[in-house]
Amino acid sequence: MNGLLNLKDVSVHFAGLKALTDVSLSANAGEVTAVIGPNGAGKTTLFNVISGYVQPTAGEIYFKDEAIHGLTPHAVSARGVRRTFQNGGLFGEMTVLENILTGLHVQIDSNFFGLLFGTRKANEVEKEAAARARRLLALMDMDEFVDQQVKSLSGGQQRMIEIVRTIATEPPMLLLDEPAVGLSPPMRARMMEVIKRLAGEEGIAILLIEHAIDLVMAGSDTIIVLNSGQKIAEGKPQEIRENREVLEAYLGYA
Amino acid sequence: MNQEITKTKRPFMQSGRVFYLVPLVVALIPLFANNYLQFMANMIMVYVLVTVGFNLVIGNLGQLAFANTAFFGIGAYMTAILMTYAGFTYETALVGAAIFGGLAGLLASITALRGIRLYYLAIITLAFGELMRWVYIHGESVTRGTDGLPLPDVTVFGLSMHSDTAKFYFFLLITVLVVKGTSNLLRSRVGRAIMAIRDNEMTTASLGISTANYIILTFVWSGSVVGIAGGMFAAATGRVFPESFSLTEVIVHFAMVMVGGTGSLIGSVIGGIVLTALPEYFRQFPGMEELFFGIIIVIVLLFLPKGLVSLLAKVSPLFRERYFRE
Amino acid sequence: MLMQLTISGLSQGAIYALIALSLTVVFRATTVVNFGHGDFVLGGAFGVYVLVVMLGLPFVPSAIAAIVLMFVCGVLISRGFINPIKAGPHIGFAMMSISIGYIFRGTTRSIWGREVLPMPRVFDIEPVFIGDLVITGDAMIISGIVAILLLAFFIVFYKTSIGKLIQAVYQSERGATLIGINVQRFHDMMWGAGLAMGAVAGILIAPISLLHPDLGAGFLIRGFAAMTLGGFGSLGGAVAGGLILGIMEQYAGAYVNTALIDITSYLVILIVLVVRPSGLFGKRAVVRV
Repeated sequence: MNGLLNLKDVSVHFAGLKALTDVSLSANAGEVTAVIGPNGAGKTTLFNVISGYVQPTAGEIYFKDEAIHGLTPHAVSARGVRRTFQNGGLFGEMTVLENILTGLHVQIDSNFFGLLFGTRKANEVEKEAAARARRLLALMDMDEFVDQQVKSLSGGQQRMIEIVRTIATEPPMLLLDEPAVGLSPPMRARMMEVIKRLAGEEGIAILLIEHAIDLVMAGSDTIIVLNSGQKIAEGKPQEIRENREVLEAYLGYA
Repeated sequence: MNQEITKTKRPFMQSGRVFYLVPLVVALIPLFANNYLQFMANMIMVYVLVTVGFNLVIGNLGQLAFANTAFFGIGAYMTAILMTYAGFTYETALVGAAIFGGLAGLLASITALRGIRLYYLAIITLAFGELMRWVYIHGESVTRGTDGLPLPDVTVFGLSMHSDTAKFYFFLLITVLVVKGTSNLLRSRVGRAIMAIRDNEMTTASLGISTANYIILTFVWSGSVVGIAGGMFAAATGRVFPESFSLTEVIVHFAMVMVGGTGSLIGSVIGGIVLTALPEYFRQFPGMEELFFGIIIVIVLLFLPKGLVSLLAKVSPLFRERYFRE
Repeated sequence: MLMQLTISGLSQGAIYALIALSLTVVFRATTVVNFGHGDFVLGGAFGVYVLVVMLGLPFVPSAIAAIVLMFVCGVLISRGFINPIKAGPHIGFAMMSISIGYIFRGTTRSIWGREVLPMPRVFDIEPVFIGDLVITGDAMIISGIVAILLLAFFIVFYKTSIGKLIQAVYQSERGATLIGINVQRFHDMMWGAGLAMGAVAGILIAPISLLHPDLGAGFLIRGFAAMTLGGFGSLGGAVAGGLILGIMEQYAGAYVNTALIDITSYLVILIVLVVRPSGLFGKRAVVRV
């Protein structure tokens, strides 16, 4: 239990429904930890409870040894745990650049009155942020879309933009909720490459929900299997592949 | 990959700075306007601010709140009350109008924060506005009820604002300052956070942005701007009546936002200008004003959902608002 | 005194109940809150006025004609104005319904704006005296007609196959599409039904009050207050909310201050939404984000 993020016996109950029961796990810097399980296993609830959208009924959550359970979503995010959303979470009416800039929000250091009066300092900070957002997009080969409205982009491009927006502040911890869903095979491969790079080169701890079992097996360091709100297995991809219980619960083998 | 971001300044006529010419041109109006046109010009500035404030909540934050007439009325009445009963000068009363408008905005934001959204927010804010009108009518000892509350002589820093031309220049100054300040806010992380909440409130929080704070900020800022507009309205008309803040007024504000362009500051200015000037003609015929505004909104909703500014944006990129600085 | 107030409150409340119910019918079917409804209620009343007073037709056929007319208006609004902006943001629906309401109001005001119109009395029924209580003929007729209508409505809704169909679409629009129900036509019909029911309320209230274009706003707010009180979206709640609101207005007017009658509904909306947003009978009302 000495990862960057640690969950200790976390339970979430909604009016009698046990969405999560006594789940403990750790995620380490520089590693991809995948969470798999059938629909309704509690994967998204797990993300919601970590990121503060749902409060745990019991249990504790620590990030960098600091308790983060009970915090609001923006407070969790401000501490460096950032997430993406299954249904896509971009701001559709805004341009790609404005989306990335919104991702940078907490690192744009200006106060209300500086912005209101348009002081030189406040404007400089804004300009630096815009330049940084452009560099970031260029780095991810997304710079051709900079000024396009997000809703005019394809699903795959939107997912990429969302990830760029999420990592814009260089957070130490990333929760990715089905980043490859609905993507074409080449896009999926590229997405997995990006995720591995973020963990391997940037040293980010990544917690990943993914349904595509091939991607999970190929791309993750550790796999955690949830079923009916409980953790039923944890291990290296190879171990999970050979775990009977997992095969029965999830992969559908009798 | 290593694309250098060029920092060359665009020529004046193609940069946003060209908008600085607008107030300079507007400042020439008194040279050729007759009394009526001068009064209209003053009213236009009142409604530009009304629209700017309303659009922040409706267009930028995307909340269906009808409290705008309440903000407007509170601004107008507070100006008249502070001047009449507390002996405030006009400029300080206007600060009071902004503060009380902002407080009304705070109140409206609390309902939104309590999870009262969409139609519930629309209905509760509608009730708020009508309740305020009831207060104006029945608080006779202070507001003089339906007779209206006259404004004492308007002076600004000791200068008499008796003539419409004097008011015009003072209004112009305020309008320019408020619009510029609002533009500054919108073109920063504040504006982006507000619009992010509109587009996806849940994910906005995941970026470390306190959505509650920005919802409050938007309502308070909107309330203050519209409160100031109310104070200007009081001075422009000289007497404040409860009927000026009835439900009919809601549709006027709505139409200005819609016709100009929801979520666009330039649109607000355009909407305020176009729809203050045109319907004045209809006010003499009963019912025509309602018909006119009703039909205008229906047409805009069906055929021009992004308002006049979307047409202008096709002509020149200057009218496409950018919510960042480079 | 209390009994007397309760009785007049109930007959007022019956009208509010009908308005709230007609708002709810449209809301449940289409998720659109009809902000122009007050003016459509009044539309029914003005329709009857034109037919009875200006054209000299008898009351009952005029009333039926006005109701049918408002039904057609409802279908046209659904088809021509709400459907085309379906893809846009939800705010558009509210603005659209307000605007059409204003077009109605502007039309009536441009024709009759300067005067308050008296409707001729239709039924001259002697009041009934029970001890100290006086029950006016109007109160009896209004309550009687509304009671029959409500009974008919709920029988149709809960007992007939059409009602079951409507309930099914309320439950799941996608499911309804799958089993071959034309959802667009369903929306049109519900808009029509909502406006027709609203028109009935307007026609009932017209003979006991004077007609004026500004009455619409009051109807709308009272309809909302009744819906809010009973629980937004609940059919039974709308009826109960309307009746309670009618009684509350009478009590507030008699025991506190007559000026309070005008704002009872605003206060109800403010207090209910802040204290108990789900209303007295509703289940969920709040959009938690």
